[in-house]
Amino acid sequence: MAELLIENLHKQFGPVHAVEDVNIRVADGEFVTLLGPSGCGKSTTLGAIAGLDQPTSGRIRVGNKTYFDGDKGIFLPPEARNCGLVFQSYALWPHMTVYDNVVFPLTLRKVSAADRKRRVEECLALVEMERFQDRYPHELSGGQQQRVALARTLVYQPEILLLDEPLSNLDAKLRDRARTWLAELRTRLGLTTIYVTHDQVEALALSDRIVVMNGGRITQIGTPQDIYEQPADSFVADFIGTTNFLAGKVVEASSANGQTLVSLADGQRVTIQSERRPAAGDKVTFAYRPEQMRLATDNETGTDGSIVNATVVSHSYIGGRWQIGLDVGGNPIRIETQQATASRQLRLWLPLAGGILFSEQRHVQSH
Amino acid sequence: MSPDLGGARTAAIADALPTPLPGRDTAVQYGMALLTVVLVAAPLIPVLYQSLLDRALYDAGQQFTLGNFGRLFRTDGFGVVVWNTIVFATLTTVISQTLGTLAAVLFGRTDMPAARLFGELFLWPIYLSALVLSFGWYSIYGPAGYLTLLMQDIFDGAPWNLYTLPGMAMIAGVSQAPVAYIYCMSSATITDPSLEEAARVAGAGTLRTLWRITLPLLLPAITYSAVLNFTVGLELLAIPLVFGDPAGITVLTTFLYNNGVASARPDHGLVATAAVLMLLVVCVLVWMQGRLLGNTRRFVTLGGKATRPRPFRLNRLRWPLCLLSAIYILATVVAPIGVLVLRSFTSLLSPMAPLAEVLTLGNFTSMLEYPVYLRSIWNSFVVSAVGGVLATAMIALIAIIVLRSDFRWRGPLHYVALFPRAVPGVVAGIGFFYAFALVPGLGSLRNTIWILIIAFTMHYIPVGLGAVAPMLMQMSPDLDRAARVQGADWWTASRRIVLPLMRPALVACFVILFITFFKEYTTAIFLFAPGSEVIGTTLLQAWTQGEVGLVSALATIQVLVIGTCVTAARAIFGVKLYG
Repeated sequence: MAELLIENLHKQFGPVHAVEDVNIRVADGEFVTLLGPSGCGKSTTLGAIAGLDQPTSGRIRVGNKTYFDGDKGIFLPPEARNCGLVFQSYALWPHMTVYDNVVFPLTLRKVSAADRKRRVEECLALVEMERFQDRYPHELSGGQQQRVALARTLVYQPEILLLDEPLSNLDAKLRDRARTWLAELRTRLGLTTIYVTHDQVEALALSDRIVVMNGGRITQIGTPQDIYEQPADSFVADFIGTTNFLAGKVVEASSANGQTLVSLADGQRVTIQSERRPAAGDKVTFAYRPEQMRLATDNETGTDGSIVNATVVSHSYIGGRWQIGLDVGGNPIRIETQQATASRQLRLWLPLAGGILFSEQRHVQSH
Repeated sequence: MSPDLGGARTAAIADALPTPLPGRDTAVQYGMALLTVVLVAAPLIPVLYQSLLDRALYDAGQQFTLGNFGRLFRTDGFGVVVWNTIVFATLTTVISQTLGTLAAVLFGRTDMPAARLFGELFLWPIYLSALVLSFGWYSIYGPAGYLTLLMQDIFDGAPWNLYTLPGMAMIAGVSQAPVAYIYCMSSATITDPSLEEAARVAGAGTLRTLWRITLPLLLPAITYSAVLNFTVGLELLAIPLVFGDPAGITVLTTFLYNNGVASARPDHGLVATAAVLMLLVVCVLVWMQGRLLGNTRRFVTLGGKATRPRPFRLNRLRWPLCLLSAIYILATVVAPIGVLVLRSFTSLLSPMAPLAEVLTLGNFTSMLEYPVYLRSIWNSFVVSAVGGVLATAMIALIAIIVLRSDFRWRGPLHYVALFPRAVPGVVAGIGFFYAFALVPGLGSLRNTIWILIIAFTMHYIPVGLGAVAPMLMQMSPDLDRAARVQGADWWTASRRIVLPLMRPALVACFVILFITFFKEYTTAIFLFAPGSEVIGTTLLQAWTQGEVGLVSALATIQVLVIGTCVTAARAIFGVKLYG
């Protein structure tokens, strides 16, 4: 167990920068998730930590052991690092039984025969797989394979645990269960863990901190709550949770109390309270989570918020609730309500505080 | 049992990191790369060297010269040799491509009765050596052949003559047609029925669909296998030796054989120069193959098709075409082999002599009287079994270095390992002959079967890689990476994870090499010595002595052994033995 330090990490494939200027410090025992869409560089970063990919430059250190230093020409091969890596594919060896799979790293470490047996059994018990010792991987379900893969990694006490999308091969129900189980396990083990995923729900539920990556760069580092409530930019806001974006132009710059008046494309006006202070005339984007918005009552005038007119584009029953697709000044918006609606026009209440203002013009995608 | 890892953790603090021998991976990788380079270069460098010397490479006082090239082209009849070679290879290609494509469409894509059976029989020649097929054709279509005599009775003479370029090309074409057939059958386009169905829906009839859709889609496969077959046509020794030599038709391979091995005073400068010339031409052809195929499909195997496309309806032509196919298969494959086997159990075979009177086991019993026959059968088994194991081991190591390591020179190593594709068997034979004459200390190997094992291994590395590589490329790299991360060095991960998982491919590789080594003769006739004969070389010697009965008996044994291997391998392992 040790602290992980990544400094100025670069990885270039020909002209493509897969990872650019990545700096992460992970404290001893901390659980950090690398989150981002495919191709964002998260798996390359993980491969660099494990020693499967040689970075172009930068430094990686775990505890007081330097894994990689581009300047000094240090590159430890994977076998010299003592990392634990659980592959997305689990990579269980199909020609070995569960026991043989798990004992392999101990045999490499020349652990005595008695200790080997005891530790494999302990570890399989930890992942509740002790009854399956003599099975072959193809005789196990996906969830069971995942547990064996984890046991095979935990059995040799790695310095640091690396998990590469370990839940992505499970079906939705099993994934929920495995996530809960993994969350319990991590609290119990307290291993320094790097978790790679593109699933924001996993990231939010499991992590001490989340590193959001996009296009090879780190976009934001923070606790799950920070990332959700204070996304650094519209990419993060969009990637984490469902987010509705509105594009507009600042009519009146922030007053002393931090309220900005924005005009939408169709001239409707919205007031938003924000720490960011754009000037009048700036083009801006602001965002609301679906749970922050609601339909306005008939005679509501908009205290603590703004009321805008919206056109109903679609509405569909999604089990217990209705999802209504709206058009607000050319921006697609989705909200959820308890009741169906028959009208073509609705009034939407947007909160004064809680929305996020970005001082950038975002290309609004239709969902 | 502790549910917490805490106990294990305290116990494990003393875990030592695995300490693989430093440099072991590097040693294995560099060692294997060096061995491969030496093996592949061993026949090539002496040939190149000899072609630039003014006298034999083991004579004293050599001078470098380019004179050999001029001398070769001024040699009487060399122009004719080149012309014959080109005509023979071209005719062979045309015949094999036509037969192979027709067979692929007819047996693979129509509702003709017994199409599957014909397809199987059509492939037979690929399992046999061209030498054995030649003898088969000789015993039925040769001057004293069964059918020739029959025709002479009825007409004034047989309308065919195998002792001509077209006659030889016919046998070579039949023996190479399976290659075209396999490539056409494995072409992805023949397995995608929707393209043809689209044409049908658009209103095209069967023939039009065939001509406008199916054949054009097969064109890449036909072209690629054409270059392959042209190359084989250039390299082929058996058929020109059996039929060309007596008629005075010389091609490059027989030119090399006659001047290099059969000659009392070989002109090594001339032989080596001709070999270099041949090597260059084949290199260009193999390079063309690579260009045609692209990198993705370098290793082609005929896979089992999950969905069979809807077959073309032949309607009224079903039975006539079936009959035609039956005649073809009977005339070109079944009859030659059948008559050859029958000949081995008779004292002579002729329509004039009643079969019951000539039946005998005499050919087999007289084989026992000459030790050379038993010795060559035994040697063939040893070369194939021991050589097959050694070659498979070497190929497995090359494959994991090239495809599953971060060895710095893995690209060049791959190239070197595939290079023997461009080295014709005759050139490899001459080259190893020189190499063993040139390098002191190797003399003791010269009269043993080891020289054959070494030469065969070199020549068939690409074939073995072709059998092993597809499986290795399908195996997830995560499997060995997992072992690496857990502390295994490359060699341990290879030994414990990759190689055991490759077992089916290695078995297939061994079976293919066993069969290939067992029927090989081209390289061997340049290298064997009394005591190290194999079936192929003894067949040729007995043939030269006119021992037709013994040749038939020995060929029958070869056919039986290979037939047994093919059947067993396919039944037990489901191994695909071509591709």
